[in-house]
Amino acid sequence: MTRREWIALISAAPLLKAAPNAPAAPVAIARCASYDEDVTARLATMFDQLGGLDRIVRGKTVTIKLNMTGSPGLRVDGRPPGITHYVHPKLVGATAHLMGQAGARRIRFVESAWASGAPLEDYLLDSGWNVRQLLAAAPGVEFENTNALGKGSKYARFTVPDGGYLFPAYDLNHAFEDTDVFVSMAKLKNHETCGVTLSLKNCFGNLPASIYGDDAGVDEPNENPTSGRVKTMHMGKRQPSKSAPSELDPSSSREPGYRVPHIVADLAKARPIDLEIIDGIESIAGGEGPWIKKIRRVQPGVLLAGLNPVCTDAVATAVMGYSPRAERGTAPFRTCDNTLLLAERHGVGTTDLSRIDVRGVPIAQALYRYEA
Amino acid sequence: MMLRTARWVAALAITPLFASVPPSSWVPARWNWSDPKTLDLLSGTPINCLLLESYSSEMAHRASERGIVTLAVLKPGADPAVPARAAIRAGIQGIVLEGDFPNGTAARVRDALADSHAVVVELTSRAHMPLGGPDPVIGTYQGVWPGIQVLDNGAAKAAPSGSPWIDTNSGFIRSVRAWGPAAVWLGYLPPPHTVVTGERYLAAISDAEMAGARWVVALDNDFSARLERGDPAAVKDWRGMTQVLQFFESHPEWRTLHSYGKLAVVQDPDDALLSGGILDMIAAKHTPVRAIPGQRLTSESLQGAKMAVDVDPNGLTPEQRQILKDFTRAGATVLTAPPGWKGQSALQPDQITLDKAELDRLNDIWHDVQTMIGHKNLGARLFNVSSMLSNVLSTEDGKQVVVELVNYSAYPIENVTVQVLGAFKHARLLTPEGIQKDLEVYTPDEGGSAVDIDRVTACASVRLD
Repeated sequence: MTRREWIALISAAPLLKAAPNAPAAPVAIARCASYDEDVTARLATMFDQLGGLDRIVRGKTVTIKLNMTGSPGLRVDGRPPGITHYVHPKLVGATAHLMGQAGARRIRFVESAWASGAPLEDYLLDSGWNVRQLLAAAPGVEFENTNALGKGSKYARFTVPDGGYLFPAYDLNHAFEDTDVFVSMAKLKNHETCGVTLSLKNCFGNLPASIYGDDAGVDEPNENPTSGRVKTMHMGKRQPSKSAPSELDPSSSREPGYRVPHIVADLAKARPIDLEIIDGIESIAGGEGPWIKKIRRVQPGVLLAGLNPVCTDAVATAVMGYSPRAERGTAPFRTCDNTLLLAERHGVGTTDLSRIDVRGVPIAQALYRYEA
Repeated sequence: MMLRTARWVAALAITPLFASVPPSSWVPARWNWSDPKTLDLLSGTPINCLLLESYSSEMAHRASERGIVTLAVLKPGADPAVPARAAIRAGIQGIVLEGDFPNGTAARVRDALADSHAVVVELTSRAHMPLGGPDPVIGTYQGVWPGIQVLDNGAAKAAPSGSPWIDTNSGFIRSVRAWGPAAVWLGYLPPPHTVVTGERYLAAISDAEMAGARWVVALDNDFSARLERGDPAAVKDWRGMTQVLQFFESHPEWRTLHSYGKLAVVQDPDDALLSGGILDMIAAKHTPVRAIPGQRLTSESLQGAKMAVDVDPNGLTPEQRQILKDFTRAGATVLTAPPGWKGQSALQPDQITLDKAELDRLNDIWHDVQTMIGHKNLGARLFNVSSMLSNVLSTEDGKQVVVELVNYSAYPIENVTVQVLGAFKHARLLTPEGIQKDLEVYTPDEGGSAVDIDRVTACASVRLD
């Protein structure tokens, strides 16, 4: 099967009925073989293809959720995490630089630092990132660890419009509210629980472990979290802190392959993502981090950016060689629900590739099969 | 032949043994070769002391001509005084008693060799080391092979700290060195039936040197054979090893520096002489720590410290408990292990690491230690160093600080950040590869002084003034 035949197949395979009214937005793809290339120029071209960064960020506070999953100490073959499972700091710096040039008033990088409530700067330094360079990339750069209260005085409550799948609302760090533009900067990866982790799944990390972590306080948040969210959110073995809205149906499935995609879709509805950037220059396949045994390093050599997370992830999933509309039981969603379809049903965006305007490099030319 | 031997012995007899290099400065290596030509491998290296399990007068003479001390290694068995005397007669300059000999053996051997002024070095089990004694060199044949623990599936084993766990002897060495100024030798061997890469040898050397001890260089059989026949890869690895040795030996002043840590761990030797204990756990978090033997706890030993962990409160005298009370009254924090925490399982005589039950037990106190330390800067904070260990030292007046970094991975580490308490104006990076580079010193938000290091291969040091 040729690349074109493959793309035609996955585009025309309505395994589930698409939500006809789900919005569509353009997605840009660029080739970028290495982080030594001019990443800034590639990004600039992509933003232009999407209509220009200026109109999105000028005079605005921009919050960028990075993907830095797992402890910075855990590495794939001892390699810097930016070339394996984290977004690469060069891409982050280039984004800040371009946003600064486009007139962003404040650029706030956020991530829920794994098992820590410490300043995000510490986490970045532990990942081998040069914080001073990032601060110098643009005016108004700042950092926030969203795993706890951070620099805020209270949590912000995000209600899922029209009701959520698992929770009616989620309590998040103030940074997700005190912003005009919300950006999800993800890595092009498989995910053990969700099949793929892209701009949607990246936002599972919006959840503060202080409330949704395994050592979250029972009544109130634990502002010094030291665990992940596996027992609470993946498996539903305990409930989040009572200060946050409780689960809609505690008797629903406790299976991670059901829970995590539904929570991610809820979050995409509750805290909309305005801009997505996906780092597929170098990455890993087979899982999301070094704790997954079957991972391997890959070099897809692509960057993606878009203005709707479902559309962007649909294109990214196709670039990885999968159908973005594949049902549970089909790769890459072998043991889980398809997060993209759940978000589509929430009305966030369409997974229908025929409705998505792909700009720059066509999917067929960017195709890099994660399961060769 | 007899005549030649006699001439060599006569020559040695008039040589002022060890006149130029005291035992504390010996840089030891086990030498499995008997061919004197192999001594060429030592040209240009700092190795100046060979441990020989079999020896010849010719080897002893040739080594002596090069200023290299030779020591005969004797193991438990028959009375070692007899072979010790024979070794000295053959021109060997000292004896290593390796293993656990019956009590009094070392003294008897020293008496037997009194006329020759030969030095006797004991490489005992850790538990039998003569801590705080008069010997210029104390050592052990036991040690963990330094490196990142790897699971069967090839993944790194995570530590309680969430980082890959690094096997190290550095906590043990800190504990031993807290007893006195004796040079400390670690005489453990490379792991058997294992391919030992050059990087692992560098880690073995650096692991000991970073903490102020010396690993007795010991090559596995495969490496020895390849080196002897001049295999380029083996020669390259050997050069790398001697380069690292030279790096540390070029800075003898580092051995005289004090721990810059504001955190003290008060421990008795039973625990302190194990690897993988509380000292190593704290070191894995790159929190500078000073080891204080319970028996040597004084108010002076806590000078400058802000926190202390009392691992065995029942082992302290009433006076020592009072010292800790006074320490807390002065504003410091003391974390005391819970009652009955210690002594729940007996250590085996040959045990040098904690077993699972002890590790589980230690996790209780470790959690409290982590909470107490938090993200405070207790001397230094280091970033992007999960596959590294460090030691932070200072001159007595605190005007100069040296941060030693050892990389236990097979890859160079890039973008390391070091934040040190105190205001320093100058920083200089030193590496075994010969890099000597001034680093920009800047002030992080939390105060103190910070530097960024581009790359650390096997090890590196940063000197701040």
